[in-house]
Amino acid sequence: MREIIYNSHSPLASPRAFGRAVGLDARTVLRVGRQLFVRNLIVQYRQSVLGYLWLLLPPLVLALTWTLLSKANILQGEKPAVPLPLFILTGIFLWQAFVETLNSPLQQLTSVRHTLAKVRVPHEAFVAAGMGVVVFNLLVRLAVLGAVMWWYGVGWHLTLLWVPLGLGALLALGLGIGWLVALLGLLYNDVANALTLGINLWFLVTPVVYVLPGRYAALLNLNPVTPLLLTTRNWLLSGQAAPSPGFWMVAALASFGSLLGWLAYRLAQPHLIARF
Amino acid sequence: MISAPEAAPDFPVIQVRKLAKKFCTRLRTSLWYGLRDIVAEAWPWSRPRTASLREHEFWSLQDVSFELRRGEALAIVGANGAGKSTLLKLLNGLIKPDGGTIRLRGQVGALIELGVGLDPVLSGRENIFVRAALFGFSRTQVNPVFSQIEEFAGLGDAIDMPVQFYSSGMVARLAYAVAIHLRPDILLVDEVLAVGDMDFQRKCINHMLAYLAAGGSVVLVSHNPYHIQAVCQRGILLEHGRVAFAGSGLETLDRYFAQQHQLPATRGTGPTTGRPVVIEALTMTGEATPAVVAGGPLRLRVDYQAQQAYEAVGWAFYIWTNDGLTCITGGLRLEPVRLAAGQHQLCCTVPQLPLTAGQYVVKVAIFELHSQQPLALLGWEDAPVPLQVQGELTLEKSFQTMLQQLVTIPVKWGDEQLGVH
Repeated sequence: MREIIYNSHSPLASPRAFGRAVGLDARTVLRVGRQLFVRNLIVQYRQSVLGYLWLLLPPLVLALTWTLLSKANILQGEKPAVPLPLFILTGIFLWQAFVETLNSPLQQLTSVRHTLAKVRVPHEAFVAAGMGVVVFNLLVRLAVLGAVMWWYGVGWHLTLLWVPLGLGALLALGLGIGWLVALLGLLYNDVANALTLGINLWFLVTPVVYVLPGRYAALLNLNPVTPLLLTTRNWLLSGQAAPSPGFWMVAALASFGSLLGWLAYRLAQPHLIARF
Repeated sequence: MISAPEAAPDFPVIQVRKLAKKFCTRLRTSLWYGLRDIVAEAWPWSRPRTASLREHEFWSLQDVSFELRRGEALAIVGANGAGKSTLLKLLNGLIKPDGGTIRLRGQVGALIELGVGLDPVLSGRENIFVRAALFGFSRTQVNPVFSQIEEFAGLGDAIDMPVQFYSSGMVARLAYAVAIHLRPDILLVDEVLAVGDMDFQRKCINHMLAYLAAGGSVVLVSHNPYHIQAVCQRGILLEHGRVAFAGSGLETLDRYFAQQHQLPATRGTGPTTGRPVVIEALTMTGEATPAVVAGGPLRLRVDYQAQQAYEAVGWAFYIWTNDGLTCITGGLRLEPVRLAAGQHQLCCTVPQLPLTAGQYVVKVAIFELHSQQPLALLGWEDAPVPLQVQGELTLEKSFQTMLQQLVTIPVKWGDEQLGVH
């Protein structure tokens, strides 16, 4: 039986104890998160007629819209090397995974805000469960994408083995930003409102439904999603192994950022609950 | 939060020293302070600014110290806003102290708002596993105690029904059953038993007593004197965030009720606008002396102020036990009485007060006869008026005290010895 001490000092004042507590919690988070993930899957569509079809409907409709717009030559630009609908569908599936990850911490924690204020539970477990749902949704969409690739006769490449790395980097970037968004968004409602607006703008400056225009390539590459999305799409569709410029740097920063975001949230947790 | 190595066996399971917590009265300022505090957490070498209050801040708890050992139950008593829930949140590790230290030895289980955390769409059975998971228990750890949880909750077939169709009492049963069967070393209970029916409350109290006997520790926040008397050997009274009294559970309750009874001193001094009749005072005396004696007469005078005259009112007084739980007796006048406008009195006399010596409280009501709606109340929404009944120190009185006898009745004893020949 261990002794737990609560006082006003920052947990970082005893880094070893903080690290030990994080390590102990990480195991609990994975176990609890798995159970909550199963619950989320059951609950998600229990009160729905179309059920799991909702996993695919929004991105399919979005992809169809952009395909029609592109075919009508409303979007001027270079044509992709693979069939346009497949190119757009892949981009939208990857973008959707990034956005869902980014939104997940704030959405999950806001929905259980009342519980968090009253019951001592690992907050990260809810985020882990939310991430589980994001990954599940992504896998279902990738299976659909596989079928569409087969339909268009796109060949399988060895670079498909690298796809999990690209997806991991994309999700890590979303999660890193998501932790920060959750931390601020649980205090200020402005963050959730600004996020909706910001994501719509972000979509437009990311080459999701169009080929990266050479003229603005340098500018659009400042967007951290660009190298991750382009590289992963290339690994999926064209078999081009060389990653886009900045991929490794962004992937490393995203991994570090997701860890840092988690630790920042842990430090903020009691201050957030005091204001729920 | 810091985990320290295991302490000595006689070490208290809860040790609270000079605990302090402050809150801000303004939401936006509070959010800004929150952001600053979060940034300060990332820089542990900065000088802590927790000892002083910033603008619009107040101490919700200050200088609170107590200890609790294995097998002990502590009642936390106090008026609304005294800091009871803040203290429980601090003990539960939900929020951080701004001063002082809490040392906990053992796993803490909390029963604070029982329905929180249950998923309305899932069945009771599914919720048992989800709730246990939230407390860090896997499915395989829950399976062996599942039948006990099911039996304690006593929900029958409703266990497979979605929780959204449960009554609040059923939710309480389910949540309580899960929390206690996970065997925490320290149980924090915040006013949660009130939602269950009498049978469930009795079950919970019996369970808590068994849990204490097995070496568990309980911190109970409740306004229910019966629960406190039944479970808690010790208590602390919180007043404006400070410990105003610490002693046995009963002493703490007595002090709390005494504190509540001091409130009528301000009765009648507040604004009376909009109230047609206000009861300004209730005075109770003996026939010729101020003291009220057991078996003697009781003179009762109600001072009221009426904005207008009322032709037909009734009035009543009721004598309750000191804990306010049981109404012992009273008087109800249903013959029409005229209530004159202005400041006047209503009076009555009880020729022989049947109460045994002790402390009681009295409530008064004046009401319109035809509608039976109250015009003025005293002691119902505010604190009732204390009544001290004195008695001589006799053998009969010591029996009455021992048995907690409330009333005496005239008895005509037979002199003949009855028997079967």
